Amino acid sequence: MLALRDLGTDAPDQNRLGRYLPERSHSLAIGGVVKLPRISVKPTLFTLLRRLPMPVISIFIGLMAGLAVWITLDQVQSRAIERIFGRELSMRLDLRARESLIRFDQYMANYASTTRLLANHRRLAQYLEPLFWFPGEVVDPVIYAGFRPFWLPDVFGRNALLAPSHVLLVDSRGLVREIYQAGEQPLPEELTNDLGEWLGDLDEVRTVLARFDDSPYLVVSDRVEDASGYTMGSLVVLVPVDAGFLAASEGSFSADSSAVALVDADEQRILASNEPKQLIPGTLLSEWGDEYLVTSQSLPAYEGSNWNMLFATFIPQRSVAKMSSKVVDFERNQRLIAALVFITVFTLVIYLVSARLNKVLKRMTRFSQRALGIDQPGFNGGGNQLLLLEEWMQHFTSLVLRAREEMRRKHEHEMRETEALKAAIMEASLDSIVTLNRAGSVIDYNPTAEYTLGFDRDQIIGTDFVRAFIAPSDRANFIGLLQESRRRGPLGDRPHARTELRAVRNNEQLFPIEISIVPIALDDEPVYTLYIHDITKRKEAEREIKGLARFASESPSPILRVNGAARIVYANASSQPLMTAWETEPGGPLPIRWCDQVRETLEGGETREYEDDLSSAIYSLLFVPIQELGYVNIYARDITAVRRAEQESRQHQAELVHVCRLSTMGEVATGMAHELNQPLSAIVNYANGASRRLKSGQDERAPLIDAMAHISGQAQRAGEIIKRLRALVGKQQPIRSVVDLNLLVREVCSFVEFETAKLDMQIEQQLAEAPIPVDVDLVQIEQVLLNLVRNALDALEERAPGERALLVSTRRVGERGLVRVKDNGPGIPVQRMDLLFDPFFTTKESGMGMGLPISLTILEDHNGTIRAESEPGAGALFEVELPIAADAAGSGDEQTTMALADARDLNLLELPRLEGTHG
Amino acid sequence: MSKELTIFVVDDDQAMRGSLRWLIESVGMRVETFDSAHAFLDAYYPGRAGCLLLDVRMPVMSGLELQEYLGRREIRIPVIIITGHGDVAMAVKAMKAGAVDFIEKPFDDEHLLNSIRKALQYDEQHRALHARKAEIAARLAELTPREHEVMAMVTDGKSNKEIAAALSVSAKTVEVHRARVMDKMRADSLAELVRMALVAGGDA
Repeated sequence: MLALRDLGTDAPDQNRLGRYLPERSHSLAIGGVVKLPRISVKPTLFTLLRRLPMPVISIFIGLMAGLAVWITLDQVQSRAIERIFGRELSMRLDLRARESLIRFDQYMANYASTTRLLANHRRLAQYLEPLFWFPGEVVDPVIYAGFRPFWLPDVFGRNALLAPSHVLLVDSRGLVREIYQAGEQPLPEELTNDLGEWLGDLDEVRTVLARFDDSPYLVVSDRVEDASGYTMGSLVVLVPVDAGFLAASEGSFSADSSAVALVDADEQRILASNEPKQLIPGTLLSEWGDEYLVTSQSLPAYEGSNWNMLFATFIPQRSVAKMSSKVVDFERNQRLIAALVFITVFTLVIYLVSARLNKVLKRMTRFSQRALGIDQPGFNGGGNQLLLLEEWMQHFTSLVLRAREEMRRKHEHEMRETEALKAAIMEASLDSIVTLNRAGSVIDYNPTAEYTLGFDRDQIIGTDFVRAFIAPSDRANFIGLLQESRRRGPLGDRPHARTELRAVRNNEQLFPIEISIVPIALDDEPVYTLYIHDITKRKEAEREIKGLARFASESPSPILRVNGAARIVYANASSQPLMTAWETEPGGPLPIRWCDQVRETLEGGETREYEDDLSSAIYSLLFVPIQELGYVNIYARDITAVRRAEQESRQHQAELVHVCRLSTMGEVATGMAHELNQPLSAIVNYANGASRRLKSGQDERAPLIDAMAHISGQAQRAGEIIKRLRALVGKQQPIRSVVDLNLLVREVCSFVEFETAKLDMQIEQQLAEAPIPVDVDLVQIEQVLLNLVRNALDALEERAPGERALLVSTRRVGERGLVRVKDNGPGIPVQRMDLLFDPFFTTKESGMGMGLPISLTILEDHNGTIRAESEPGAGALFEVELPIAADAAGSGDEQTTMALADARDLNLLELPRLEGTHG
Repeated sequence: MSKELTIFVVDDDQAMRGSLRWLIESVGMRVETFDSAHAFLDAYYPGRAGCLLLDVRMPVMSGLELQEYLGRREIRIPVIIITGHGDVAMAVKAMKAGAVDFIEKPFDDEHLLNSIRKALQYDEQHRALHARKAEIAARLAELTPREHEVMAMVTDGKSNKEIAAALSVSAKTVEVHRARVMDKMRADSLAELVRMALVAGGDA
């Protein structure tokens, strides 16, 4: 903090100083925390540079650059130009030489054509007519000196050719007849001596350059023919090739001061030139090498020459040098312009850059003032912007470093706070928190960890956590979790790696933990923070719950859980046969026929009971909805055995009923009643008819007697019927056996299970603990008891479902076994009690009124009794009394007297009277 | 008339048949007995006046079944049911099916004879009404379609004018039709014509 304050207070001074003493500002800045590479510039030069504005420097640099360009170009370009001009010169020379030769050639060709023209002149042919000349006549030729003979028109002059020095007219025999001589120069002897050689075999014009008397001549010869093509003779034209000839041959072409000359090829000596004053004939070619550029060409076209000649073209060096110097001047000018442009552009660009830099600097100034709160940014508009910028950067860097330092301090402070907070959290945490380094050694822990894991405080740091605290079987798991946590990364949306393991305490005790690993990247080294929660208690609770949950799996009956879509989500092991029968499996759907029931159960929220009769077995299904979870628990019970027993019992019952039907007087009596009615009605009718007839005076005896006979017959018929009835009743011989009365009661109660279920009630049985042996006809006594129970159940129908109660009890009173059937039905009206055991008396719409009379008969047969008592509106009680079987008798006690005393109070009814109600 | 009246007794029991004949003939009524429903159906033809005494309990075809059969055939002979069991349900069924009375064996002779007399009286009335209906129907058959229309309107209580307007004929013509209707129906007054129309309508 001290350093910071120093820097802060020094800053303005430093800035002010910095403008004049930039090196100091450097040293100050560097003297702080910063270690920047120092620019090694001499202080004075640096000061100068710093003071110079950018444009000035740019102009200076531009000038330097321009100069450099100048010098370089001067070297390179001059040489290039020389080379170019050399090439140009040789090319021009070549061109000039060819052109000169062509002109020369052309000029000579002109002579040839002019000579031909002349040779074919009519006048000349006539002149040479042999008629005028005598053959074989040897004469000296006529010489025309200085004037033209008439056969020689001025064709040469007209064709702009130099006039020939001599023209020879030769006759057909090769003798020279006439000679024209233009000047003083006589005809060269060499020519006249070898004229034949020169004429040759003239078929056409012949042009030859020849040398006579060391002077070159042009010799042109041609035949002279008359109009019919007959050769009259020959014409020879001789032209000296001198300066005039050459000049004429080149025409005006030599204006560029080039020259041509004929050169003796052997001696390399000039024979003639068109500029004889400059190129003096007779001099050697090599003498002119300094002044001229020379090209020599042979003249092969002119065969027959008597010497070897070259045609040389001269171009004076002067003209080339002049042009070269002109070009160099021009090029120098261009170079100057290029250098100036360079300077201008350079300066402009740097100026623009500096202007831009100025702007940047201004912005930075503003930024420094605003953002960094520095009043004096350390520079102003003047001076070298680049250096200023650099300075500012250094300054800025120092500021940033300062700020960073401050932040670091602040951060350290915060860290200390966080550390304190973290320590507090660690201290207070109920979970164990252990931090591991990359190698898995403990580097930090909290007190809970110490307590939970039970380690030694001194030795813990650096211990391998896995080896020390994780159960061997779970170590691989733990390492996998570590790796997974690394993969997941330290923070973020993804949950931390978490699992349950077993840990070791004090090197011996295993206990379950839940562990969560958070990897933290510290510098390069990742560390892992483990949050360890001792879940021993939770595990115990889970075990407890699991133990409870096992009830279902242990159940011998199938227990299933289905969801709202009727899919099985759980099925215990015992469900397998049921699921096989249903052709489904855990996770599969219920049979379609049960889907609706599941839905209804879930919607209704009430337990429902169903039965599923599969071919193999019958299941009772109890559907219990768990609405909050959207499940239905199905408790199935294999009731095949029960149903089978029920079926058997039903069969038994049916048999019983059948026996009843056959044996009861009720059924018989019904038939009897009709049977008896017939004769009785007939008797009544006959009697009434007879009395009416007698009253009305129809007293014929025969019909009346007849009617009397009918009456007697019908009465006898009635008697027969009664006899038959008596015989039927008397015929029944009961089959006796010793049975337990309790057993009978149980069986009878089971017979009416359907009825009790329908009435939504159960028969309460209070049976004597000891068996009550009675010697009875099993079926008959069962019928009696069944009749009583049925009556009671019928009476209970009038009661509300929840209020129905039926008690069947047995007990032994001395030598008698007692069965009581007590209901809480409407009871029997007092006035009917007397008629209770009369045949055909009934309170029921469907009843025959024969049950109780027959019961009474049966019991009397068994030496037993039956009695009834009732409290109207509160219920009825029937008591059956039977003697104990003879073998088992003698075990009775004083209860007998009590029972008999009770019995006396009851309304005990005797045999039925014979008159019925009606029917 | 009483000569034509016959009491048909159907009972499977010979003694009952004999005794009933004896009793009923004692008051001078004609009795025919049959031992089964089929025997009765073979001998009986519709239109025979009288009443039917039926025992409910008979083999093959019970009394109730015979009664139902007759009802289906629209044979309106009055039926008295004889039961032997005091079976109220069966009696109610018989009464609902149109039996005049039911009596239980063994029966009081006066009760039986009263029932028979009542049945005969009912039969006679029924027959008279039936005859009247037949007579009116015969007369109605004589009317032309136009006269039918006129009669329907007259008995509806419409005036001659209204009828004329409805049939688009003159009142005079209506009067002529009306007079002819009265003549053909042998009605002395409008009231009688209306009664005939009611009887005929009741039949329809």
